Amino acid sequence: MGWGLALAAVVAVVAVVFVARPFVREPSPASDELDELAPEARERLALAEERDRALAALKELEFDHRTGKISDEDYRAQVSPLRRRAAEVLRALERGEEGPHERVPGQGERVP
Amino acid sequence: MAAALAVFVVYTALAGNGIAQVRPSSLAGHTGNVSLVGAVVGPVRGNAHVRGGLRFVLKDVRSANPARVPVVYHGSVPDLFKTGRDVVVDGTMRNGVFAAKPGSLVTKCPDHYAGKSSKT
Amino acid sequence: MAPLGRAALLLAFGLVAYALVAGSYAAWKRRRRLALSAQNALLAAFPVTLIAVVVLVVALGRRDMTFVYVWQHTSHRLPLGYALAFWGGQEGSLLLWLLVLTGYGGLAVWLNRRSRELIAWTVPVFGLVGVFFAFMLCFVSSPFHLQPAPLDGRGMDPSLQNPYMLAHPPLLYLGYVGLTVPFAFAMGALLSGRTDERWIVATRRWTLAAWMFLGVGQLVGAHWAYVEIGWGGYYAWDPVENAALMPWLAATAFLHSVMIQEKRGMLKVWNMVLVALAFNLSLFGTFLTRSGVIDSIHSFSRSPIGGWFLAFLGLMVFVSVALIRWRLPLLRTKTKLESLVSREATFLYNNLLLVALSLTILWGVLYPIVSDALRGETRSVSKPYYDFFLHTFGLPLLLLMGLGPLVAWRRASLRSLGKTFVAPFAAAVVTGVALLALGFGSSWPGLLAYTFGAFVAASILLEFVRGRAAAGGVRRLVSRNRRRYGGYVVHAAVVLLAIGIAGSSAYQTTRERVLRPGQSIHAAGYTLTYVTSTGVRGPNYTGFRALVDVRRGGSHIATLNPGMNDYNIEGPHNEASIYHDPRSIGDVFTTAQLVNKQGAVDLKVFVKPLINLIWVAGFVFVAGSLIAMWPDAVEQRRLAARYAAGAVPAGL
Repeated sequence: MGWGLALAAVVAVVAVVFVARPFVREPSPASDELDELAPEARERLALAEERDRALAALKELEFDHRTGKISDEDYRAQVSPLRRRAAEVLRALERGEEGPHERVPGQGERVP
Repeated sequence: MAAALAVFVVYTALAGNGIAQVRPSSLAGHTGNVSLVGAVVGPVRGNAHVRGGLRFVLKDVRSANPARVPVVYHGSVPDLFKTGRDVVVDGTMRNGVFAAKPGSLVTKCPDHYAGKSSKT
Repeated sequence: MAPLGRAALLLAFGLVAYALVAGSYAAWKRRRRLALSAQNALLAAFPVTLIAVVVLVVALGRRDMTFVYVWQHTSHRLPLGYALAFWGGQEGSLLLWLLVLTGYGGLAVWLNRRSRELIAWTVPVFGLVGVFFAFMLCFVSSPFHLQPAPLDGRGMDPSLQNPYMLAHPPLLYLGYVGLTVPFAFAMGALLSGRTDERWIVATRRWTLAAWMFLGVGQLVGAHWAYVEIGWGGYYAWDPVENAALMPWLAATAFLHSVMIQEKRGMLKVWNMVLVALAFNLSLFGTFLTRSGVIDSIHSFSRSPIGGWFLAFLGLMVFVSVALIRWRLPLLRTKTKLESLVSREATFLYNNLLLVALSLTILWGVLYPIVSDALRGETRSVSKPYYDFFLHTFGLPLLLLMGLGPLVAWRRASLRSLGKTFVAPFAAAVVTGVALLALGFGSSWPGLLAYTFGAFVAASILLEFVRGRAAAGGVRRLVSRNRRRYGGYVVHAAVVLLAIGIAGSSAYQTTRERVLRPGQSIHAAGYTLTYVTSTGVRGPNYTGFRALVDVRRGGSHIATLNPGMNDYNIEGPHNEASIYHDPRSIGDVFTTAQLVNKQGAVDLKVFVKPLINLIWVAGFVFVAGSLIAMWPDAVEQRRLAARYAAGAVPAGL
């Protein structure tokens, strides 16, 4: 089975080349640092997720109201806090684009 | 979670502790209903669907232990039942013979990958 | 050829080991090129493993008996399709695990490669799992052992030579191994200290696909057991069956609670626990099936891999617990449950019930080992134990499936609830009363299952009706809310499943009698008359068939021929004969055993109403899963924008 082992050798070489590729392509790179999300970026990401959550919740509330699952009363009661929350988060995101942002109160926390 | 735990504890307290699985060599101490696990030793005689029943002998699985238990069985005979197979059967020991619960004979699948076994 | 296979496996081992070691170091020390290199190693592992698979499959196809594995699982007369099913034995199934793992892992990592920080830690986790299986294949349980070629192989058990059995293991493995993907990304997220939802977004469809395959795989297995083994049932609570059910239940819980994290940002710790539970249960399931540690009726010989598997399982549990504990402060959120009457709350109850059911099944599976350790005596639990918990947890779960959609997120006022509740509740009450009047009160779990099923069905129907009006058409409704309405279709499948199970077990009729030619059995309105028996002969068996005439209300509706094949090598094998009754969507299931030379037979009849709903449910289940999984361009764009820190195309 000489050819079998020969094939194995070829495959092994190809594999090693593939594994070594990042080093071969950039023998002396400007930076070998693995990207990391800076703390500000992480905060922004958290805010972005918050924003998407709030917007999705509004959309769903509206859909539930249209399909009759939520009464007008309940809709009115829930939609304002949700809208306020979404606005808060959007503002925080915009502020973050300009400079350091304030801590946005967590959901469910009392706003002083 | 607490409710689930409560249900569970109550159940196991009420329902008892499952059925004992024994080998022919350890059958001696047990008087009640047990689940006997063993390998079929030939010859297999009789007929499971007539009064005399199917008669065979069980020994410990994969062991040289000399213990032998004669079994009398009525009911459906499961797939692949023959001498040499590992089987499980419920019942009680009576006068030196294991009286099997009708229909409780089950063969274990042979040494291959096998999804399901045969049951009655 | 075998040396090529062995070399390929060794190379695969080297690659995943490199992915583990170099990957961990690179992630820890933040070395970009090394991390990429480790990623490449993981990617390369798949084609290399594939080479080993090809070697084995070719050997199986050629019936090369110098391969011990080929000799153990095939014979010259075995049809090609079954011979090529390389996963039939222990070594082959480990190889399948590795193949699917490297394939899934490589693809998942590749698709999310731009999320460098997360992937840097996810690669070594895949590497760790891969190292175990590659190690086993290279040094403990190799499919490439050789021997002087015997004349013929040991063949395959005839009951396994069946298309269902061909499909069952690959489907299950796509499920089991598939659960590694969310696990690896979750652990990767913990290791990299990321608390955002990147890992969930990346793995959502993978989890759904794995869960779908695991579910379908179990249904296929159950169907095989029903038609092929012929004991009249489809699920026996055997450890090997439970081995697949437990991770499936945990994965179901995970799929639901992940929605809560997405919508409300809650339950981050619980989700980590669930994904680890699902993964470790699937490892445990593989271990159970292959190690013979629990004397199941499916017990294989006590294999040496048992100890290794247990050690690895212990390691993975330890790693999961340690990582979650380490990152606990990061995961804690301040978001609280606003109301016990909200959709979040129903999801939570659903989770508790699913996990409770999974754990009670686990306890039942481990009981023999535990009792042996504690009292020196092996005891086992059986159907009554499992049935009790199936009813206790399963019936409320069924009810919750109907309640969930009716309740709003965050908080549902009792008034709103009352409004939406009325119609399904009425449907349930009417059904319940009607069924009681028709005599279905003979089994209270069955009655409850039917009644709750009606409730859920009405609630789902209402969702579609209401939604259609709001969206302007069912197609638009579904395509704009794929996850939600796909989920409803899956729930509908579960209702069908529940009704099918209830009908075929709670309202089953069983009769058994020894009959001489001309005699009959009456069961549930059918009359089965044993006419005569004939001998049959095949290439490797002899046997008999009993001709049974089936009538209902005096008119002939079917002729059945249950009997037995006695195989030369393997022994006797029941051949059940089933009549599918379109009127009751049920079956008349018969088996026959020859009693004496005068042609008397022991005929056993099961009348199983509604059982075919179970198989129909399988198709509906797949349809619903596919709808929920379907790519959504709008959603993809939105998620891409969100993770635009690295311009990431999110997940699948």
